[in-house]
Amino acid sequence: MDPLFYVFDTLVFVGIFALLTVSLNLEYGFTGLGNFGKVAFFMAGAYTYALLANQQLPFYLCLTGGAAVAGITGILVTFPALRLREDYLAIVTLSFGEILRIIIKAEEGIAGGVRGIWVPSAFAPLGSMRSLAVANVLLVLCCLAAAFLLAQLLAHSPYGRILRGIREDDVAVQALGKNTVLYKLGVLTAGSAIAGVAGGLFAQYMSFIDPYMFLPLVTFFVWIMLILGGPGNNWGALVGALLVELLNRGTRILKDYLTLPVDPNNLQFILFGLLIILILLYRPQGLLPEGPVKTAARRMFQNAPSA
Amino acid sequence: MDFFVADRLVKNFGGLRVLNETSLTVKEGTITGLVGPNGSGKTTFFHVVYGLLRPDAGEVYFRGEPITCLPAYRVYSKGLALAFQLPRLFSRLTVLDNLLLATGRRSGENFGTALFRRRHWQEEEIKLAEKARAVLELVELTPLALKPAGELSGGQRKLLEIGRALMADPVMLLLDEPAAGVNPVLGRKIYATLERLRREKRLTLLIIEHRLEMLLDHAQHVYLMDAGRIALAGEPARVLADPAFYKIYAGESRQWQS
Repeated sequence: MDPLFYVFDTLVFVGIFALLTVSLNLEYGFTGLGNFGKVAFFMAGAYTYALLANQQLPFYLCLTGGAAVAGITGILVTFPALRLREDYLAIVTLSFGEILRIIIKAEEGIAGGVRGIWVPSAFAPLGSMRSLAVANVLLVLCCLAAAFLLAQLLAHSPYGRILRGIREDDVAVQALGKNTVLYKLGVLTAGSAIAGVAGGLFAQYMSFIDPYMFLPLVTFFVWIMLILGGPGNNWGALVGALLVELLNRGTRILKDYLTLPVDPNNLQFILFGLLIILILLYRPQGLLPEGPVKTAARRMFQNAPSA
Repeated sequence: MDFFVADRLVKNFGGLRVLNETSLTVKEGTITGLVGPNGSGKTTFFHVVYGLLRPDAGEVYFRGEPITCLPAYRVYSKGLALAFQLPRLFSRLTVLDNLLLATGRRSGENFGTALFRRRHWQEEEIKLAEKARAVLELVELTPLALKPAGELSGGQRKLLEIGRALMADPVMLLLDEPAAGVNPVLGRKIYATLERLRREKRLTLLIIEHRLEMLLDHAQHVYLMDAGRIALAGEPARVLADPAFYKIYAGESRQWQS
C-alpha cells in the first residue's frame, strides 16, 4: 500500500480524536465536569450521520444533524445529573454510553443492529483514491480548526473565566450571581455537539459502522489524551491526541517486530497504563499546563502593574 | 417595612435546631453587627438568608420583596453580596480574575456574546480592570494581581474575599468576620473603608464580628445571638454594657473596652 495513505489515515484519526479531546477539555479541563460517556455522543453523531447520509443528504447537513442530535442528547442525559454532586455526572454518562450501545446493538430495523450500517462516502464523485484521501484529511482538519478556534475564543473570554471558576468553586460562582447549572448545561451541549461532529466524520471516513466500534475504550483513550496533553489547555488537547494516536499506531507496528514475554496485543494497554501513572505522579498538569485567561484586562495589568 | 427583614427563620440540621425563630431587621445605610458565641448560628443565618441553605420556616425580605428560598445567584442579582468566613477563592485563577469574575451582569458572559461581541466585552473588560485596580488598592493586593489566588496567605485571601464582594457595587453586604486573620492596622483600615462606602454610597452592612471594638466604633446597631435566637439588641454601647452580654458572650473580662 502507498505509505502516503497511511499518513493520511493517521491524520484523519488524529483529527477525529483531537476533536473529541478538545470537547472533553471544554467540559473537564475548564469546567471540571467529568464526562465519562464521550463515546455515547460520538456514537450519536456517527449513527445520525449514517442514517441521514443514507437518505442522500449532502455531507454538511449530515454533520450538522449529527452535531444537533448529539448536543440534544447531551442536554437530556446530563440535565438530571447536574444538580447532584459531580461524581454522579460521571456515573450517569458512563452508563449512558453503554445503554446507548446496547440499544443500537439490539435495534435491527433502523441501523442494522449488530450487523452495522453502510455509510456512503461524501467524496465518491472525486474518483481517484488519492484525491479522496486528501479531501477526507481536509474535511477533518477544517472541522478541527473550527472547533479549536471556538474553544480558544471561549477559554479566553469572561465566559471561559466563569467556567474555570465553576471548576474551582461552584458555590462561590453562584454566590457571585451566576447560574452555574445553565453554564454547565451549555458546556456539555457544546462538548457533545463537537463529539457528534467527530462521530459524523468517523462514520463518513470508515464508510461502515457497527456498535463494536463504540466501546467505552474510546472514552478512555480521549481521557488519556487530555491528561497527557494538559487539561485546561487547548493546545495540550491537540498534542495529547497526536502523541497518543502515534503511540497507539507505533505499538501496533512494533509488535510485529518484537518477541515479547507478554501477549503483544496487550502491549499498548500496558504502555498506556504506565504512561498515565507516570504523568499523574510526576506531571499532573500535563505536558502543556493551563495558562491564564488572556483578555485586555490582563494585558493592561502586565503593561502597567501599578498605575 | 424595614430595608432588610429576617422573620422567624428556622433551620434544623438533623435533630439540631441551629436557627430557632431568628428575627432581625437592618436599616438602610447602617452598619449592623451580629455577635454571639461560636456555634450560635451566625454563619448559618447568613447562608440561609443568602439562599445557600433552605430555611425550614420563616421569611426574608429585602427592600420589601420576599427573597426567601431564592437561589444564591438570584439573591445576588437583587443587590445583596456575601463574603464568606472561610474565603472561597478560585485558587488556580489569578487575583485579578477572581475580581473580574465578580462583576455582576456584563457582556461576554454567555456563549453568544463571548464569541460574537468580542470588541464590546474587551472594552468593558478594560473598564472593569480599572475598577479591579481600585479594589486591589483598597485591600492592598495590587502587587499580587497576576498571581494565582492559591498562592496568597490566609490574611490576603480574606482581603480578596472582601474585595470580590465589593466589585459589583452591592446595595447590601453580608460580611462574615471581615477582620479575622488580618493584622490590626489593616483590620481598622477595612472598617474605615466600609464606613466610607456606607457614607458615600449608602451601602448597608450586616457584619458578623468578634472584635467588639470595631463594632463599638462603627456599628449603629448590634444583635447578640445565642443558640439560634436573638438574645439582645440595641445600640452597641448599650448592648455591650448589658450584664446578659457578659453571661452569654464576653465572659467576665472587660479588656476590650480599653
